[in-house]
Amino acid sequence: MKIGVFVCHCGSNIEATVDTATVAKIALTYPDVVFSEDTMYTCSEPGQENIVQAIKKHGLDGVVVASCSPRMHEPTFRRTVERAGLNRYMFEMANIREHVSWIGRDREANTNKAAELVRLAVEKLRRNAPLYAKQFDVTKRVLVIGGGVAGIQAALDAAESGIGVVMVERESTIGGKMAKLDKTFPTIDCSSCVLAPKMVDVAQNPNITLYAHSEVESISGFVGNFTVKIRKRATYVDWDKCTGCGTCTEKCPTKNVPDAFNEDISTCRAINIPFPQAIPKKATINPDYCRKIKEGKCGVCAKVCPTGAIVYDMVDEIVEEKVGAIIAATGYDLVDWTVYKEYGGGTYPDVITSLQYERMMSASGPTAGHIHRPSDGMEPKNIVFIQCVGSRDCSIGRPYCSGFCCMYTAKQAIMTKDHLPDAEAFVFYMDIRAPGKMYDEFTRRAQEEYGVQYIRGRVSAIQPTVRPDGRVGYIVRGADTLLGESVEVDADMVVLAVGVEGSKGAGNLAEKLRISYDHYGFFMESHVKLRPVETNTAGVYLAGVCQGPKDIPASVAQGSAAAAKVMALFSKPKLENDPQVSVVDIKRCVACGKCIQVCPYQAIEEVEIRGQKKAHVIETVCQGCGVCTATCPQGAIQVAHFTDNQLLAEVNALCLS
Amino acid sequence: MSVLAGKELRIVGFLCNWCSYGGADTAGTARAVQPTDLRIIRVPCSGRVNPLFVLKALINGADGVLVSGCHPRDCHYSAGNYYARRRLELLKEFLPVIGINPDRFEYTWVSASEGQRWKDVVTNFTNRIHALGPAPRWEDVPARYDRPEELIESIRPLGCGEHPALPELRQAVKDALAEGLEGVLGWKKGFDAVHAEPVFMTTPEEVDSLIWGPFNVHNLAVYLPQYKGRKIGVVVKGCDSKGVVELLAENLISREDVKIFGMGCNGTVSLPRILAKLPEGVKIESCTGRGNKITVTAGGQDYEMTMAEVAQDKCRLCTKPNAVLSDVFVGTPTTEPAAPADGRLPGLRFLDSLSLEERMGYWKGQMERCIACHACRGACPMCVCRDYCVSDTRDPAWVTQEDTVQQKLFFQLIHAQHLAGRCTGCTECERACPMDIPVFALKQQFGRMIQKIFSYGAGLDVNATPPLLTYQVEEPTIKEHDLA
Repeated sequence: MKIGVFVCHCGSNIEATVDTATVAKIALTYPDVVFSEDTMYTCSEPGQENIVQAIKKHGLDGVVVASCSPRMHEPTFRRTVERAGLNRYMFEMANIREHVSWIGRDREANTNKAAELVRLAVEKLRRNAPLYAKQFDVTKRVLVIGGGVAGIQAALDAAESGIGVVMVERESTIGGKMAKLDKTFPTIDCSSCVLAPKMVDVAQNPNITLYAHSEVESISGFVGNFTVKIRKRATYVDWDKCTGCGTCTEKCPTKNVPDAFNEDISTCRAINIPFPQAIPKKATINPDYCRKIKEGKCGVCAKVCPTGAIVYDMVDEIVEEKVGAIIAATGYDLVDWTVYKEYGGGTYPDVITSLQYERMMSASGPTAGHIHRPSDGMEPKNIVFIQCVGSRDCSIGRPYCSGFCCMYTAKQAIMTKDHLPDAEAFVFYMDIRAPGKMYDEFTRRAQEEYGVQYIRGRVSAIQPTVRPDGRVGYIVRGADTLLGESVEVDADMVVLAVGVEGSKGAGNLAEKLRISYDHYGFFMESHVKLRPVETNTAGVYLAGVCQGPKDIPASVAQGSAAAAKVMALFSKPKLENDPQVSVVDIKRCVACGKCIQVCPYQAIEEVEIRGQKKAHVIETVCQGCGVCTATCPQGAIQVAHFTDNQLLAEVNALCLS
Repeated sequence: MSVLAGKELRIVGFLCNWCSYGGADTAGTARAVQPTDLRIIRVPCSGRVNPLFVLKALINGADGVLVSGCHPRDCHYSAGNYYARRRLELLKEFLPVIGINPDRFEYTWVSASEGQRWKDVVTNFTNRIHALGPAPRWEDVPARYDRPEELIESIRPLGCGEHPALPELRQAVKDALAEGLEGVLGWKKGFDAVHAEPVFMTTPEEVDSLIWGPFNVHNLAVYLPQYKGRKIGVVVKGCDSKGVVELLAENLISREDVKIFGMGCNGTVSLPRILAKLPEGVKIESCTGRGNKITVTAGGQDYEMTMAEVAQDKCRLCTKPNAVLSDVFVGTPTTEPAAPADGRLPGLRFLDSLSLEERMGYWKGQMERCIACHACRGACPMCVCRDYCVSDTRDPAWVTQEDTVQQKLFFQLIHAQHLAGRCTGCTECERACPMDIPVFALKQQFGRMIQKIFSYGAGLDVNATPPLLTYQVEEPTIKEHDLA
């Protein structure tokens, strides 16, 4: 075998702490290495051309590139060697950037380590074999999980291109958080006026199948061929018959049900339609409150329903859908702000969240758009907004910025002035983060045009007091760090800009999707810069805040981007499998069946070959995890590209002197 | 490859491609400075990591080995890390028996988003290995040859007289042959009075040669897989029956193909213990057993001995003297004693009393004698690879032909690892060893830890799944090893 080694400087990223020329020189002493050199930027056009030329000139049949992580550029260089006529799997990478130059300061140790990693790659490459992909059919349908604005955009774009869409929404209506908003920044556009037409489009598009009040139960399969089980939670109303007339809701005698759509600042009936523009506009019974379901008494809704849609004994139903790709757009929930005992921890009635305030200002909300504070219904005069509650706060383990709170706080302060021209709005902030089109101008308008008082500093405590007129007030104590003095504001109401985290149950879903997620419930993208909507699981994409905090336009853009990724995936008539799958050596197989037992994909079957039972791998089902290889006592089943001999060669290269 | 003299130790990492390798990349991208010792081998999944890779690295002189995968519930391949968790936990518990400090091996979970956690894992593990210092080298450890022969007190009465139900057993076998069994495996008298040998009985005359008693040492379950698909019978002692059950549980033989004949066992003998009581090379003329006493006549002289002196260790601690599964059971079952509370395990008791380095020396001393005949493998009823043992091939090349203690011990480690959770403790490996190497201790250590972690004993239930071939999402008996 003739191996060529290319050691990349990556500008100074590697060269600064690794002597690449020495690494290249040492590499020449390794078995089968006939050519070795250090190059400035191996991944650049001339860098790649250099590899192609070297393959041709020196008759190389294998290439090692020592540079960045294979998770970054392995696909790049595989294409390069393919251009020069080699099989793409006759290539190995040594990660001397992320795993060497960027984490070690000692140039001598780094150089030695880099040379050893090249040795590992060479030893593995010497045992590589050309691999060839198999083709398989694709189900050209996409599952969109979450019907917020990101999911809606993704669904509409995909459906527009002719792709079948299955949308699963946990709530009884789509719309997500955006449907709860009164206005949007920086234009003070009416949120539901912008969103509602899109929601209607979802309902009317023949390519979209909507499962509301439903959750993903399980996901099996792989890119191109996922099988999704969806739990349609019992609504106790036959939605095929329900016309959304609302008579049941009017007549229902149970009126003390916390209204989740209105963020619990009001109550609704036990049978309810969340809001007038709900899609689907269908009633749902809350079984925790319905007297008929709980106690067997009542039955008013069934009596008044003109279409006979009420079904008190409805049970959850599991439906199965086949899809080829999945877009997760599960959005966010607010951080549990009740950990802030200095803000009352949820016990002061007039200290509310920004989302509650949003519902209060909304014409479709419980107060029909009038701002009344919850405790006594008084129109507040002094309103304090506190930013970064649960954001950028390491003391509660939330180091990150939630991104859009500065903007909506400015919007809410402006709206406050619109609703109550005599009111005073105060904003306590850490920094104003407004890096978007027309954003900074918007926060300035709040201050300059509307006279919102911005105070740079954190609030240390909210102290409830009783005023001479007997009403309750709230002394907001904080620091003004620009003036270097403490401040006190006598507030009637306090609005907390609570930070966001991944939607409740996001971790659970990530496990079903087999994608990574962080401590905060945000899903991990494939590459933070270059693959922001892909995940490391082929065929699974991300849209919206489920990936990290972002505002509406960014969520919409990501929804479209995810849909575009799905379209690209589905543009091919067939998909190719990754040939790094397991292969059975039928001579060695004794058909003990242990591999069949442990395979997570049921990708191994027992077959009879010339009268003898043997294990057989279904190549397009196998995902190449190698659990079978680690199980087979005879070593008869080997996962290609990570065979026992390849890993043993690496171990021996490291451990045998 | 030399490590950087004096600065670094040899630490090998196996990282799954999707989570931990990504986590290491994330740490790198964040310029999270770490010790430079670790060398990372990328694998698709922690479930790909055969524990033998770890053993290979450690036997070959690695100072530390780290395996890191996706967090439980977050495996890219949905379940690979669950298998890894069981295998690696067991491996960690196994290491001390061969004299390797279990702190030199660790496994943990780091996700692709956890750069900081990865930095902490590397830093803490590297610091731990540096605190332990370089691993002792096999070349440097002094070999030990001491091996006190201790006679474990039996937990039950042992006997060697003629079994009263033997005629009944013979008749049952004859009946079964008449009903169409192709043959029945049993024992007949061997070349002298103290040796028995296996017989495949196909005629009534052959059945008359069937014997039962303390010399029926062989576990005949070992022959069953080669008769797969043919209708045969097998005569079993309690311990042999566990082998049959395990073969059935693993679908290596079919229940409908094998008829099991059982009889209560009163113990078998260790031939080396008998021979040690006779002059070397003397010809044995006859042997009689009565109650607990054996009288061997050799060279014209009588030698008296008791079962308490010459019984095999496994018989002294046997709690299953009757077949755990049989189609025909003749005679009165032997009283089954309760397991001793002190968990005494011959072989391991001595090893447990040694320091880690002394254990390494012990295995060095023992394995020096190994002639690599692989009789241990041939006698093992659970070694079903037969002609396709991984030690007999270059593809994969787990062992080389080098005549070193490491290579020979590694073969034993392969055997023990393949038997983890499957070994029924028949000790045939050790009995078959012509060099009298106590190889069973390795399987016993796995067995002890399988019992401790999974409360599982092999060969008792045909419907059981060996613990390494399955998993639980929550493993109540496995503690997370947090290095961060």
